[in-house]
Amino acid sequence: MKVLKFGAVWCAGCLVMKPRWKEIESEMPWLETRYYDFDLDKEPVEKYGIDFTLPVFVFLDKSGEELLRLTGEVSKSKLVEVIEANKDK
Amino acid sequence: MKKIFLRLFSVAFAFLLVNGLYATPAFADSPINAYFFWGEGCPHCAQEEAFLEGLQKEYSNLKIHSFEIYKNRKNALLLQKVGRALSTDVSGVPFLVIGDIAFAGYSPNITAPKIRSQVEECFLNTCSDPVASLLEVTPEEPPLERSKNSDSSEHSINVSIIGLVNLDSLSLPLLSVLLGFLDGFNPCAMWVLLFLISMLIGMENKKRRWILGMAFIVASAFVYFIFMAAWLNLILFLGFLVWVRLAIGGVALAGGGYSLKEFFTNKDAGCKVTGAENRQKIFQGIKTTVTENNFWLALGGIVVLAFMVNLVELICSAGLPAIFTQILALNNLAPWQYYFYIFVYIFFFMLDDLVVFFISMKTLEMTGITTKYTRASRLIGGILMLLIGLLIIFKPEVLMFG
Repeated sequence: MKVLKFGAVWCAGCLVMKPRWKEIESEMPWLETRYYDFDLDKEPVEKYGIDFTLPVFVFLDKSGEELLRLTGEVSKSKLVEVIEANKDK
Repeated sequence: MKKIFLRLFSVAFAFLLVNGLYATPAFADSPINAYFFWGEGCPHCAQEEAFLEGLQKEYSNLKIHSFEIYKNRKNALLLQKVGRALSTDVSGVPFLVIGDIAFAGYSPNITAPKIRSQVEECFLNTCSDPVASLLEVTPEEPPLERSKNSDSSEHSINVSIIGLVNLDSLSLPLLSVLLGFLDGFNPCAMWVLLFLISMLIGMENKKRRWILGMAFIVASAFVYFIFMAAWLNLILFLGFLVWVRLAIGGVALAGGGYSLKEFFTNKDAGCKVTGAENRQKIFQGIKTTVTENNFWLALGGIVVLAFMVNLVELICSAGLPAIFTQILALNNLAPWQYYFYIFVYIFFFMLDDLVVFFISMKTLEMTGITTKYTRASRLIGGILMLLIGLLIIFKPEVLMFG
């Protein structure tokens, strides 16, 4: 699975999420993640319809289909739970 | 002997002369009626009330007839009648009539000397009293007797280490800290600083990083101070108009309602994406300014940018400052006290910005304060604004702490 992270430098909630993701990424080195800046990466922002609230985390399966998305500040345990439940998809 | 007699005579003459000049004339025995229309919670009324009480001590036959008009409809109608009888426009309180002269509003430097001179005039030459014939309502006790008669110990708590703490004197500083702190979590004010920090972190010159960042924060605080001082003076100037107080009470209720709505609907505590075009313009301005080679141009640019950005964002965060300055106006403070409390408010308003800036500059990593605090501040701020709004409208005297 793959996780697309959408955030912005001016968004406090996005900054709060950065160390949480850093921990998860170091604990799960197999997990593929990609960060997109809301103001710089227009194409993926439009493609995934990111237009109201940040940060947004889009979980994709192996074929690139969206499984689910989480918005706002999410706890580390919730993220781990979602990743564990979908890691084989 | 003759010299001594002459000296004694001179001293006695001088004493009589001085005493005669400064003593209250003894010939004016007929009462001077002063008709004082006031409103509960009106700060200018309280000021004028205190002035009239002082004047009454000097002129024993000055009789003050007091009429509260916010709660007493008969008194409000009487005020209209008085206005018509004197052919004067009555737009609010305080409104004072002595003889056939009306004094609308109150200013210690302008109105007070005029009132004193009218009392003196009526003291020396009996004045006509057109209001007496209109008087059908029995005048009440002078206003604000409540505050004089109340036992100060009722408003105090005993703290074991400090001793007796007067809640009246504690309430305003505490409110300044609380409202400033809550206002500080308003995301409107934070996002520009975060973008600026992201630009500063990449800068090699440590001194320049700190100076530009601090210049932005101090300039932002200064804009806020100017805005709040202007707002305060406007409220002090228009304070005698009831609708101004009611309008600010309405702003507090609307602001409180909005905060609570945000608390319940924006549960994921995310950052709202709004005003993309405006945001891009501001970002471009920051980029250009920060990367400017000339330090003084960069510093000037940051200050100008802080002014512009904060002026634009003022609309977003106008609620709490308006409410806070209304509370200050209700409290009849000395001028320096007004500005001191605004300073306290702004210090706590900027505290979260300072924390974020200091941590980011020390660690050279972007830091954000969790938006969960923003949510909590919306809940607490929303409830507080609703309560204050109701008090401003229905019980403003509760907010008069002194």
